[in-house]
Amino acid sequence: MMSALSLRAQIETRFPSAFATYRRPELRAILTGISQIDHLTGGVPMHALTEICGTGKTSVLVSLLARASHEHYCALVDAKDAFDPAAAEAAGADLSRLLWVRCGKTKQKLRPLEQTFQVTDMLLQSSGFGLIVVDLSDIPEKIVHKVPPSSWFRFSRVVENQPTALVFVAQHAHATSCAGMVLKLAAGPATFSGKLLTNFNFNVDVLRTREKKGVQSATPDFSIKAQWA
Amino acid sequence: MFACLLVPDFPVQAALLLEAKDEAELLRRSPIAVLDGPSNLPRVIALNDAARNVGIEVGMTKLQVETCGGVYLRKRSVDHEDAAQAALLECASAFSPRVESTCPGTAILDLTGTEKLFGSPEITACKITVSARQIGLHLRIAIAANPDTAMYAARGFAGIAIIPVGDEAKILAPLPVDILPATPELLEVLESWGIHTFKSFAALPSIALTERLGQQGLALQKLAQGRTSRPLKPIEPTPDFIGNHEFEDPIETLEFLTFDLNRVLKEICDQLVAQSLATNELRLTLDLEVRQTRDGKDGEQYKHHWKLPVPTQDRNMLFTLLRLDLERNTFSAPIKKLTIEAVPVKPRMAQGNLFAPPSPEAEKLEITLARIRGVVGSLDAEGISCVGSPQILDTHKSRTFAVQSFSSSVETYSPPAVIPTLALRIFRPALETSVEFTGKAPHFVRLWKKHRRVLAASGPWCSSGNWWNETAAWAREEWDVALKTFEGVGYYRIYLDRVRRQWFVEGVFD
Repeated sequence: MMSALSLRAQIETRFPSAFATYRRPELRAILTGISQIDHLTGGVPMHALTEICGTGKTSVLVSLLARASHEHYCALVDAKDAFDPAAAEAAGADLSRLLWVRCGKTKQKLRPLEQTFQVTDMLLQSSGFGLIVVDLSDIPEKIVHKVPPSSWFRFSRVVENQPTALVFVAQHAHATSCAGMVLKLAAGPATFSGKLLTNFNFNVDVLRTREKKGVQSATPDFSIKAQWA
Repeated sequence: MFACLLVPDFPVQAALLLEAKDEAELLRRSPIAVLDGPSNLPRVIALNDAARNVGIEVGMTKLQVETCGGVYLRKRSVDHEDAAQAALLECASAFSPRVESTCPGTAILDLTGTEKLFGSPEITACKITVSARQIGLHLRIAIAANPDTAMYAARGFAGIAIIPVGDEAKILAPLPVDILPATPELLEVLESWGIHTFKSFAALPSIALTERLGQQGLALQKLAQGRTSRPLKPIEPTPDFIGNHEFEDPIETLEFLTFDLNRVLKEICDQLVAQSLATNELRLTLDLEVRQTRDGKDGEQYKHHWKLPVPTQDRNMLFTLLRLDLERNTFSAPIKKLTIEAVPVKPRMAQGNLFAPPSPEAEKLEITLARIRGVVGSLDAEGISCVGSPQILDTHKSRTFAVQSFSSSVETYSPPAVIPTLALRIFRPALETSVEFTGKAPHFVRLWKKHRRVLAASGPWCSSGNWWNETAAWAREEWDVALKTFEGVGYYRIYLDRVRRQWFVEGVFD
């Protein structure tokens, strides 16, 4: 009688991956440059889809781009052309390593959201970018909400095999379980020092993370100074 | 056999080449000197025999030459010398396909196998002389069994010199050693030894000479003996990498066009590969068939050129780039002719940098960028590129930027010095608004068709620029305001455009 082991060996010779188990790639991360968030999350994971939403997301995005551009080539897919290069430069970004795709600026067949997703697909296929940020903040929420779950799933599976951190920035989280990490930011009161708006206070909620289960309810505060303060 | 064509007093003859023929002949018999150097102290660098006869020498200043009187002066022109050299090479090319441009004013040609066409070396030399005279060049010609002997004979003897095989040393014997390509130190040594001519230099024992002057001395002695042997370095015509195809019937569909496009590109890439070259610039021209119109226009052209960040020989990549561009365009008329020109450059010799970050592959990236441009467009309404690297312009006006082409071969490295700063989400274009003031501070701001109460305000921050230029002048007064919205409190930047007297919302702090 054929033993289980020999049977397994025979099957494996014909179907090498028949008994292979799926292993997630080891997650490396890109730090955001904001110590509170980095301490809490360990940075934005590579090989995964991350969502940053709420008020304060652009400041986190700019800081992330600034940090990542020193170590990686970065791409920003800007659905509504709202990115401010001056802010990124002030934060210390190496703009020569940033590919900025401004969607919705010309009359095209596709609408800005469709353009954004198509461009993101192309950039993922191109490979070589360490960080791809997709800014959907100014797209109306009801439109982003219609994006089928299969799109998020496809992005998460594609990016799993690449040394890339794929970050979606939007008003609310949409990718649900496809996201490796979800950060929700909220703004506290801003500080006006005399006649000057000097800094903003934010708090961050880690709604989802694959790595650190215990910190999901942590909500540390942090403040970001204005460039002129 | 090799013939050396030498233009004596080359700068002088080059200067005379552009003169009218009669005037040039007259000047040729008159003393003439060519000056070069700083404008305040030009010196003579070349002169003709007539000038030598009146006592002019190389190195004299303009003032010294003018004291001699009756000397025609010309300023040296590199362009004229290039034109004269090209004329010399063209003249030589009429007698041999293998012509070497040895140095300015000198060309050496290989006469092997030309006897049946032009006759004996003497007759060939005469024919070359006549041909050169017709274009205004007076030559010295020497024919010898090796190129170097022919060159030194041409330098040493006027007119036509024919050196039979085996008699090189004998004929070169009276030439002075200072025409050899020796260093001043070595010439000084030879002078101290009493060596003045090729004959005495050639007679020195080779071993003893090598012991004292090294290999350089031995090489010079071989030149003096006329025993050198080197291959000629013939000039090669620069190939042009242009391919074209004229359609029998003008075509309207992209499928037919891409078929021939691929074929023409393949020919060009094959040529590039054969020449060990690549291209980093591609020019496409499509001749369109346009029917006669009232203004007499009978044809139009579509032109486009691509500047690639890295040289390539990859036909598939070039074809994809062209195809993506053509797919984005619609043509007003059928296409009747296709022309592609590739600018040749040396191929990329790059070694990966261990310390550079992983980057997108340059060729693949170029195609990706072309595809992205196909989706989002190339330029916005202001003419700024929609795809590329942002670049902050060096101007006082805020929010001015350009978008330059993105390259994955950026060498810059700057240490991480990240300072998290508050970012503004920009509204492009800025939203027109109206502001109500209470005292000096804004009280209500109209945003998205609703009046929002200002909870706090910071400002005014005034800036202006280009006030000297009416069309480009700008002046603005900025306020950072906290507005009460449905979601809570929103922080916005508003500004007054003082030139247009209009308020705008520039962006939101986020």
